Amino acid sequence: MLTRRSFLSSSAITLVAAGAAPTWLLRAAAQSAQGPQGKTGRKILVAIFQRGAADGLNVVVPFFEPRYYQLRPSIAIQQPGKPNGGLDLDGRFALHPALQPLKTMWDSRQLAIVHSAGSHDPSRSHFDAQDFMECGTPGIKRADGWLNRALTPVAPDSSPVRAIASGAQLPKTLQGSRGAIAVDSLPRFQVADKTTAELLEHLYSTSPDAQLKAQGQATFDAVKLIESIRTRPYTPTAGAQYVGDFGQRLQQIARLIKADVGVEVAFADIGGWDHHSNEAGQLTNQLRQFGSSLAAFTQDLGDRMEDVVLVTMSEFGRTAAENGNAGTDHGHGNVMMVLGGGVRGGRLYGEWPGLEPEQLFERRDLAVTTDFRDVLGELVSGHLGQKVDQVFPGYAPKASLGLLTSG
Amino acid sequence: MRRRRFALGVAALVAAAGSLAGASTGQFDQKLSKDRQVLHVLNRLTFGPRPGDVDRVRGLGVEKWIRQQLQPQLIAENPLVDARLRPLATLQLATWQIFETFQPPLQPVLANATVSPQLRLAQLVSAEQLQKLSTGTAEERLATIGSIAPQNLGPVLASLTPKMLEGLPDLQKLAEKARQAETNRQPVVVRSGTMVSLNSLLTPEQRRVTQQGTVDERRALLKSLDAEQRKQVLRMLPPAAVAGLPELQREALAARQPPMFVNQELIDSRMYRALYSNRQLEEVLVDFWLNHFNVFNGKGQGRMLLTSYERDAIRPHVFGRFRDLLLATARHPAMLFYLDNWQSQAPRDEIPGQPAPANARRPGLNENYGRELMELHTLGVDGGYTQDDVIAVARAFTGWTIYDVNRIAEFQFNPAFHDRKEKIVLGHSIPAGGGEQDGIQVIDILARHPSTARFISRKLAQRFVADAPPPSLVDRMAATFTATNGDLRAVVDTMLTSREFLSEGAWQAKLKSPLEMVLSSVRVLGADVTDPTALAQRIADLGQPLYGKAEPTGYSTTRDAWSNSAGFLGRINFAGALAAGQIEGVKVDLAHVPGNGEAAARRLLGTAVSPETLKLLENGAKGTALSPASIAAVVLASPDFQRR
Repeated sequence: MLTRRSFLSSSAITLVAAGAAPTWLLRAAAQSAQGPQGKTGRKILVAIFQRGAADGLNVVVPFFEPRYYQLRPSIAIQQPGKPNGGLDLDGRFALHPALQPLKTMWDSRQLAIVHSAGSHDPSRSHFDAQDFMECGTPGIKRADGWLNRALTPVAPDSSPVRAIASGAQLPKTLQGSRGAIAVDSLPRFQVADKTTAELLEHLYSTSPDAQLKAQGQATFDAVKLIESIRTRPYTPTAGAQYVGDFGQRLQQIARLIKADVGVEVAFADIGGWDHHSNEAGQLTNQLRQFGSSLAAFTQDLGDRMEDVVLVTMSEFGRTAAENGNAGTDHGHGNVMMVLGGGVRGGRLYGEWPGLEPEQLFERRDLAVTTDFRDVLGELVSGHLGQKVDQVFPGYAPKASLGLLTSG
Repeated sequence: MRRRRFALGVAALVAAAGSLAGASTGQFDQKLSKDRQVLHVLNRLTFGPRPGDVDRVRGLGVEKWIRQQLQPQLIAENPLVDARLRPLATLQLATWQIFETFQPPLQPVLANATVSPQLRLAQLVSAEQLQKLSTGTAEERLATIGSIAPQNLGPVLASLTPKMLEGLPDLQKLAEKARQAETNRQPVVVRSGTMVSLNSLLTPEQRRVTQQGTVDERRALLKSLDAEQRKQVLRMLPPAAVAGLPELQREALAARQPPMFVNQELIDSRMYRALYSNRQLEEVLVDFWLNHFNVFNGKGQGRMLLTSYERDAIRPHVFGRFRDLLLATARHPAMLFYLDNWQSQAPRDEIPGQPAPANARRPGLNENYGRELMELHTLGVDGGYTQDDVIAVARAFTGWTIYDVNRIAEFQFNPAFHDRKEKIVLGHSIPAGGGEQDGIQVIDILARHPSTARFISRKLAQRFVADAPPPSLVDRMAATFTATNGDLRAVVDTMLTSREFLSEGAWQAKLKSPLEMVLSSVRVLGADVTDPTALAQRIADLGQPLYGKAEPTGYSTTRDAWSNSAGFLGRINFAGALAAGQIEGVKVDLAHVPGNGEAAARRLLGTAVSPETLKLLENGAKGTALSPASIAAVVLASPDFQRR
């Protein structure tokens, strides 16, 4: 039985050549020899965090509600058909006009939307609310995140890149005991001076500092694995146009998934949603980048999307009414999107609570009618096959939403 | 198998929680050996020891050295600091001078019904023009209006008072039309500086040189132009045209992106001071407070306002009273802009004498600053405030705004924005009818609040002692805070002379942030930095761009934010590039670094070197001899060096 220790001491490629490699690596090597990837059957979950409280009411617009237009006289999105109007989804809700790429996915039933979703915790602090959502335990801060707990426990043959954060930091969502790495830039994910790489690896593997040792080992394992991917030139599938930094992050994930090196979960975040003033233009720009990149991701993965589910979330929404600086303040309920091949798309999920003063949370924000853990829990169990109470301790989902075609 | 998994899980969880194997509350009572104390205080009070620092501090004595650092005004400054800072002209400029010199493209000003006509008028015309309009004869006023730029004429006409239009019946009619047009406001964007085409500045041959010429050819061409012409040309040329010409890159930046140039000089000054100042504790505290009162350079005018913010609102107060520091940040245009308070107003119908036009956009309260002031700057998220308090605080600060945000950017209290009703803040009543004083009263309430004393003390202890600072220390620091009315020098003194600070529990307990790792690497090598641009870029690449944190929380000071694979690889590769002399603007002389791995580790890591590191370096890397640069790189990249 190959142990992690012996894997550490030689490069992945040599191992493959010697025929003594972990099963996942052998499979990957075999498949890359075959050529273009088909479905491998391994399910992958990608979590996207919109940091800063995205304005769900202007992303998925309740244009059938006259109250919406009363609450937002200057920043409301116009009705479908009007100039700069929204993109009609179902006669009641519309997408922000900058989200045409997502409208296409809605029409092809790849995109599902859950409105009025979020955390029942009343905090309106970005910092706290993000932490609670990433931990998966509203009101309680933990050292680990829900997506880390959604992994199977670390085994000797676990891929070092099975849990990836595409970015410079490891988010709370992925922190925990089951190993995760942050990959900021694939081309730079290597030790430039090869003469010192091995020595450094030994230094980290013997460090008396437990955390540095663990992180260091994970890093060097991943470096070796990514070496083989990095040197292969990569072009996204024709037509996939990633936009901006966020696009780069998603492209990186797509590339790693397509390289079949054992990615199971991935994460990326996109900031810049905290529009307290002059929201309209800023939100349009954000959504252009957001929508195009998500669409590019699905296009790039092509057939592979059958096995991939991507879910978006934000720590809370924004006030139902605009605030007089043509912006909005911190709110409560928000939009979550779920996309992928196995998703029952083209539908709006969740119960719409309405925008009358008594229907708003604390008479100011869109209420939460679907706990975000219902959405994530369904994906974690239906798509990844994990136990919900392991991922969201102390939580039992109410009813099933029916987001997945398999579930 | 299950037991192993469980043990792995627990161990990793403990590791993930950031505590070291062996560190417990008991260890905060164990005093550090004298040798360790010396390195420890250097690691914590400075950005890393330079060659000779350990001997100096040991000779002086740890306690005496700490006392010295607490009185920076008595420390003779390193002349290198002045030498490096003097050419950075923007550091001395007032904000209005920065605007005047660098004339950035202006922020679209929402000149609409929510802003008082007087304020709007002041934003659209020069001070001279305003004077003429207010007090000039009819002819003078007519002439002034005639000289207004066409795209501003509408909004200006709409903002004129009846007195200004006296004796000008034709203009009165036009003004009436303009006021009616106000209901369909467009943002007014006034751009400064016209764009001139390169073809009118350069001959075709000169253009060819800028596109295809060698470094020497391009340098010769650009230097042959006079200053004004060069400025115009640099503004239009793509960055590639100045590739390989570091002396011209800054000038190009000033021409093309003036705000970035201004901010770059500030970044330079931070780097130079952190690298070379003898008043290291002061520099570390400036970094701490800039982070605590975070302002992001990427939002709107931020870059133009930060120079003054650091110089006038932060630096003067780091050893002063917390209340003064808090007030200085609250009043500074940089903060007013960053957290939107400058636009926050009482609802329109509550301002006496100013009825709202029928279709006017309803102005209103902006809660952003009110919330962050309590959550992040003073009480802390568990400090005992409610949503009602957030709103009350926001109302108290209405009217705290910015005068002429695109040209002068000074604090101004505008009574037209102010909510004069009574406010209850944390149980204290702020009576109705107040003005600017309401905000000051809130500052005093917050500065005196016991939660503030605890929150600030804990944050300081987190930065200087350990990620999970011992409550006993935090309590004593909070007590000092309260007893001295927020004397920050006294609080830091309590911390640095405590037994917990100089204890085994604190030893090597902190992980260096990217800023600390980069700076300490340069300092320990005694490298000579003549241009910090590349270094600052490395710090940004590692995830901590100076002034570049978008969220008001500032950068984290605990392990979890920085301990990840992308970060480690970045540090490893930085160490390699630094030691190999590949960082532009940094000259490294490895002559004093021993050629032998073990000796190098002892020299560079001092008493922080672990036996494991020594053992590995003793045996070398499979017997192959590493170059001095590689040895230095390995030591700087080692896990030992990541801790402080």
